[in-house]
Amino acid sequence: MERVTRYLPAVPVLLAYLLLFAFGLLVPGKWQLVSQIAFFCALGQAFNLFMGMTGYVDFGYVAFLGVGTYGMALPISMLADKGLGAGTIVIGLVLSVVMAVLLSLAVGAVALRLRGAYFAIATIGVNEGFRYLIEGARIWRGSEGIIFSSQLRATLGREAAMSLSTFWADVMVFGVAVLAAMLTLIYLRGKVGYALAAVRMDEDAAKVMGVNVTRYKIIAFISSAALAGLLGATAWALKLTYVYPADVFAIHYTIEAIIIVLLGGAGTLLGPIVGGLIYGLSKYFLAVHLPGFQLIIFAPIIIAIIVLFPEGTVGMIRRRLAGGPLEKYIV
Amino acid sequence: MSLLRIEKVTKRFGGLVAVDGVTLEVAHGEMMAIVGPNGAGKTTLFNLINGVFFADEGRIWFKDVDVTRYPAYRRAHLGIGRTFQIPRPFGHATVRENIAIGAMFGAAGRELTVGRSMEMADHYIRLIGLEAHRDKPAAVLTSVEKKLLEIARALAMKPRLLLMDEAMAGMNPKDVDQMVAFIKRIRNEEGIAIVALVEHIMRAVAGLAERVLVMHQGAKLVDEPTKVALSDPRVIEVYLGRPPGEVHAQG
Repeated sequence: MERVTRYLPAVPVLLAYLLLFAFGLLVPGKWQLVSQIAFFCALGQAFNLFMGMTGYVDFGYVAFLGVGTYGMALPISMLADKGLGAGTIVIGLVLSVVMAVLLSLAVGAVALRLRGAYFAIATIGVNEGFRYLIEGARIWRGSEGIIFSSQLRATLGREAAMSLSTFWADVMVFGVAVLAAMLTLIYLRGKVGYALAAVRMDEDAAKVMGVNVTRYKIIAFISSAALAGLLGATAWALKLTYVYPADVFAIHYTIEAIIIVLLGGAGTLLGPIVGGLIYGLSKYFLAVHLPGFQLIIFAPIIIAIIVLFPEGTVGMIRRRLAGGPLEKYIV
Repeated sequence: MSLLRIEKVTKRFGGLVAVDGVTLEVAHGEMMAIVGPNGAGKTTLFNLINGVFFADEGRIWFKDVDVTRYPAYRRAHLGIGRTFQIPRPFGHATVRENIAIGAMFGAAGRELTVGRSMEMADHYIRLIGLEAHRDKPAAVLTSVEKKLLEIARALAMKPRLLLMDEAMAGMNPKDVDQMVAFIKRIRNEEGIAIVALVEHIMRAVAGLAERVLVMHQGAKLVDEPTKVALSDPRVIEVYLGRPPGEVHAQG
């Protein structure tokens, strides 16, 4: 019984994604908006897996999405004449995860030795560094990028390639979001969650109590990076069918991830969904009604939410529901 | 075979020698106290034993394993538990979760699931009598309750050696007596060795320890059975103060 109760918070999460998905399918002309929001939710959910659980901010996070995008672009552009069909996409998904994990091991080996603000400073520039490495050393065609729409058509056929880019890639983004959310819940309810909660509250006391701090940080870091790789492969590579280093290593995606997590509530399960919704919707409506003024209006909204609800929206809701029958559903 | 063996351990902070060539053995199930005035190096010695700091010189064995270079978490897995002078509960976590974290990552942690650790936590909650606070965040406990939680959390780690840093500082005599009785009880029930750090509550030392190590300026001054140690003239001089008559008015 307690086993079941522990995983009840999955219900509102799955329900929220299902509703968002159904809204996009059933309301004409809203699929683009919904897919944008799904991207923000997935981004927040994946980012939260590390930032929310450890309290560490990785400013270079977008680099994992970037290499993930290349992980999908490379096999599609190179294997088009091999007749592998959908197998190429599977290879791309696996490769995007592998590349993101390898990069996270390299970054983590250095940066995870540092604490708090020093970690954040060390990760600033990972994305820019990687971008200039690709451009300067002309790796993967350097700054020209890789345009692989024709290879994608050759691999899957015109129809399938079209529906992959306009619909199925977005469905996969939903999949990444759900996967990230479920992993978050499993971690939260398992030893990883308790270890990292202890580390967040008092790292030295955690060590003395037998928590292998580095190990659990690395677990969260790698998982978060792997999901970012998948997100790059689906939301960027498959949807856009091209990749330019200047686009996929842009730091503003990291900033967006931080904003989404803070809006919703760091370390909560529902937070990235709420944050992704608030951020996606306000960005959309501000872009439509007050183009050019998004940032000026958005900044005070963010400041207000962070001042009013320092634990994020979900943190505030959870506090309100404490002791009530709904509490066990909200994490 | 002794449980803990420390040989000529030294720790320096810049020019300050905080622990100066201390040698010490603790037997299985032994109950001893380390006393000494403020700044004598007691807490640094603790930090060397459980791996918060590494020794600059000397070696440390625990259960005949050379742990000199082991990080704190590995020493915890081997069975060294520790409580802090100022309790450091995980404030947002509940009392039950705090204790369960000890069980989960302690010496027996590998075999324990989260659910099983929670059940074990309940046992220790009963032991310290905090049933009523089980699901409250640890931050709301009183300071005496936090000290009890600190001990329960360390016990849940299933240690063979428990290092207690000033478990009774700031308590009134009644609470000290209760705590002494409680510590004796857990020593007997759990069969663990206890090393307690005490700065100035002689009531606790006399009631608790079979043996006393007196430290002074980082070095070992006396290591004797409690009665002998506390009546040693050197101890009285450096630790309890000079005999009456020699003490000058301090204004």
